[in-house]
Amino acid sequence: MIAACAKKKAVQVYVVTEEKNNIHQRSCNTRVTDDLVDGFCMCVAMETQYILVNYETGDVRDLYPISSPERKPFVSRIGKEFLLPGPGIGVFVTPAAISERPPVKWAEDVNGVGFLYPYVVAMDTEFLTIHSILDQKQKQAIPFQNGCIIGDYEGKLFVASNKDVYGLIPLPVEKQVQALLTDRQVDEALSLAMNFRQAGLSKEKFQKMYTNIQQQGGFIKFGEHKLDEAKELFIRGRLDVRELICLFPDLLPSSSYFSRAVPLLHDYADVNQIVHGDAERLRECKEFLVGFLEEVRDLDASTGYRMEVDTALLKLYAASDPKKLNNFLTIENRCSLAESLEALGSQGCYHAQGILYKLHRDHEKAMNIWMRIQDQELVDSSFPGLDFIVEFLAKLSDHELVWRYVEWCLQKDPELTVKIFTERPEDEPPTERMRPDTIIDYLHAYPTAVIRYLEHLVFQKKLEKETYHTHLAVLYLSEVLKLRENPSTKAETLNLARSKLRHMLQFSNLYRVQVILSKVKETDMYAECAVLYGKLEEHDRALRILVHKLQDYGAAENYCDINSKGRDLTYRKRLFQILLGVYLDPMEGKKDSLLAPAISLLNSQTADFDTVRVLQLIPDSWSVGLVRQFLRHSVETNMHLARTRKIQNSLSRNENLQVKYHMMRQRREPVYLNEERLCQVCNQTFNEPKFVRYPNGVITHTHCARNKTICPITGKLFSIGKEAS
Amino acid sequence: MSTAGVKRDIKVVIIGDACVGKTTFIKRYIEGQFTENTETLGACFYLKQWGPHNIAIWDTAGEERFSGLNSFYCRDAAAAIVAYDITNPESFQRLHERYIPLLDAARDEFLLVVTGMKLDLDQKSKLRVPSEEGEDFSVRLNHDRLKDKERFAKPFFETSSKTGQGVDEVFEYIFQTLLTHGKPLSPQKSIVDLEGAPPQREKPTCC
Repeated sequence: MIAACAKKKAVQVYVVTEEKNNIHQRSCNTRVTDDLVDGFCMCVAMETQYILVNYETGDVRDLYPISSPERKPFVSRIGKEFLLPGPGIGVFVTPAAISERPPVKWAEDVNGVGFLYPYVVAMDTEFLTIHSILDQKQKQAIPFQNGCIIGDYEGKLFVASNKDVYGLIPLPVEKQVQALLTDRQVDEALSLAMNFRQAGLSKEKFQKMYTNIQQQGGFIKFGEHKLDEAKELFIRGRLDVRELICLFPDLLPSSSYFSRAVPLLHDYADVNQIVHGDAERLRECKEFLVGFLEEVRDLDASTGYRMEVDTALLKLYAASDPKKLNNFLTIENRCSLAESLEALGSQGCYHAQGILYKLHRDHEKAMNIWMRIQDQELVDSSFPGLDFIVEFLAKLSDHELVWRYVEWCLQKDPELTVKIFTERPEDEPPTERMRPDTIIDYLHAYPTAVIRYLEHLVFQKKLEKETYHTHLAVLYLSEVLKLRENPSTKAETLNLARSKLRHMLQFSNLYRVQVILSKVKETDMYAECAVLYGKLEEHDRALRILVHKLQDYGAAENYCDINSKGRDLTYRKRLFQILLGVYLDPMEGKKDSLLAPAISLLNSQTADFDTVRVLQLIPDSWSVGLVRQFLRHSVETNMHLARTRKIQNSLSRNENLQVKYHMMRQRREPVYLNEERLCQVCNQTFNEPKFVRYPNGVITHTHCARNKTICPITGKLFSIGKEAS
Repeated sequence: MSTAGVKRDIKVVIIGDACVGKTTFIKRYIEGQFTENTETLGACFYLKQWGPHNIAIWDTAGEERFSGLNSFYCRDAAAAIVAYDITNPESFQRLHERYIPLLDAARDEFLLVVTGMKLDLDQKSKLRVPSEEGEDFSVRLNHDRLKDKERFAKPFFETSSKTGQGVDEVFEYIFQTLLTHGKPLSPQKSIVDLEGAPPQREKPTCC
């Protein structure tokens, strides 16, 4: 406890403890008029100047001189600071003898100050003026004549004039704030409220009040069309978004239980009262609301009101931004179904209606809408088209429902419709309704669709079922036949169809060759015929067709190459032999004309021949020059082969020799027999000089060696030949 | 303006005779525009963010009756802008007589930037404080600081709050000098003047 008093020319400081009173005294050479203590710091008004005394260290710091001696100096305390009068101003001084706030401006004749956070009440002869220490601005002036004493005592302010004493009671914070809000001074209201937090309101109470002010402030800013500020206040003040939504007519779903907070946060009936029919401003307000809702959607502030938020957003999107609308509908949302449908319908967003139905798993209704858009009963430019429906059906797990729309789709575009079946999800459990056979049966009337589907089964899924392969081959064939019948068919189209058929015939080994062959034979489609004969391994016929009918020697050679894939060399040689035979066969008329292909075949790099048989085949009339290259090649090849064999032979011999050498070394060791040597089979001693030694060194009685090729101990098998040598 | 609880890195004050344009100068810097101001009562205070630093800028009153307070308000300042009116030689004289002594209360290592105001009026005025005098004065004031650092730009500026010429440079010079520990940075080049022509230094016509 510390007490200080001012004597005429001295300051005395008393430290009051339980034991004794210590007195410090400082003498001064001028009269002390006022003093005040804070902690260990004392601000003293002397006759000519103010000083700051640290009575622990005894440090004295001059503050500033008193300019007008006729006024009575005084010192007052403002929180941890002192407030001293200057010429027409009040000067703040911290215990460090500096100022951290600008001075407050007041009258020249202030003669006393009271403090009630955050207000400084200064008394002069005419008025009580009230300043905030936060912004140093005057907040209020109360006429008060002849005031002589002012003071703050335990948080209460009293003033006295010559005759009376008055208590000054501040308005409750809420009222002060409310008055500021009524004057639309949002920022000031907020900073006032924030400062009252320091003035000892409980945390919850303060928080509640502060958010309420932020919300009200937000609406004021909104009313002033300061949308960014409004948004920040709304978010920070955790506004119940429905308060904002309900400002816009028809946005809040009728199923919402919302009613405006009481007391009202604002006095707008709806947004029209704010924009006064200005369409541009209304649009901005709506844009603002969209932005706000988007931001709020993922925040806690919207918990519990997701339905309202999402429905409002949907309605806003429907009216302004179909693209965002469709994006919005693809993510999870909790729109109220009935209201949203109505809103979407009224804006012509039929596609969005469909998506909404789909989200609510009402696939039938969704399909109905999309079908109507596709059939142009409804118009919605944002609808992506039949692809979308097909994609949707491909993913739909309700197969009964899928089938109901297949026919409709098929009529629109059979090939696209097949995607419903070919692009089903990988992990979908198979059902009776989605069996390939059922699907093929159903698609029967649409050949292109069947072909697509079978292609999917055969080439993509690689199902190895004869009927699919045959069916596909037959369909390809009939397609080709149909094209051939039509004289206006372009060559390219026909060629494409035929190459597809050939590819199928060559690729698959599962179709029934005879079925196809019987049909192909009736036509002049020799290439296909050749492939089919190849499948039947009737190579001679196949090659004859290729050589004589098509005269495509390259294809013939290729045929041999393809059909010998995966077979041994003999088979390959046989095929080329057949081809050569066909070339040289005199039965088919112009013999000489096939001389060139025969020679070129003989000289070909890819072909393989059994030289001896070729030589037998070659007519005697041929000159050596014709077959020179072939002969040379054959000789070279055979020489090479012979030499390679010789090398292999020698290497093997060498290896054999080495093995023998090792064996000899093994055997050179003598075998000692004595009493301690036991038979490894029966563990008995040898009592006669006969014994058996296995190549791995195992020694046994003769009668214990039952099989001379198998070691009785290790079970190792020895080859007889080696044993013999 | 709430001032409580803000950590201040340095304090800069502006001093000078009444009506030389101290408040206008600071407002030009803070708000970026030219304002007409009346007498400052006591003092005024501005906060400025400069990079990571908080700068407290104190505007003092030029009137004589506040001069007792000025010394108090200048306490603990790191730099002072010593302002005079280029067109009023008397205000330049008074700096030495009255205002420099006020700064005794400031820190050691104190940077004094001599700054001439109202450069835009110097064409019309017959009287003009010669630039050389201001420059010499600034060198004398910062004798300790400048003696070993020849490459330092001299803490002398002539500015116009009306056109904005030279205003930012003064503050940049102070912050660069105090906060980047004296890395040599020519104040004239730190900011490009996009508008006005380069200042024309006229030969002194009087004195």
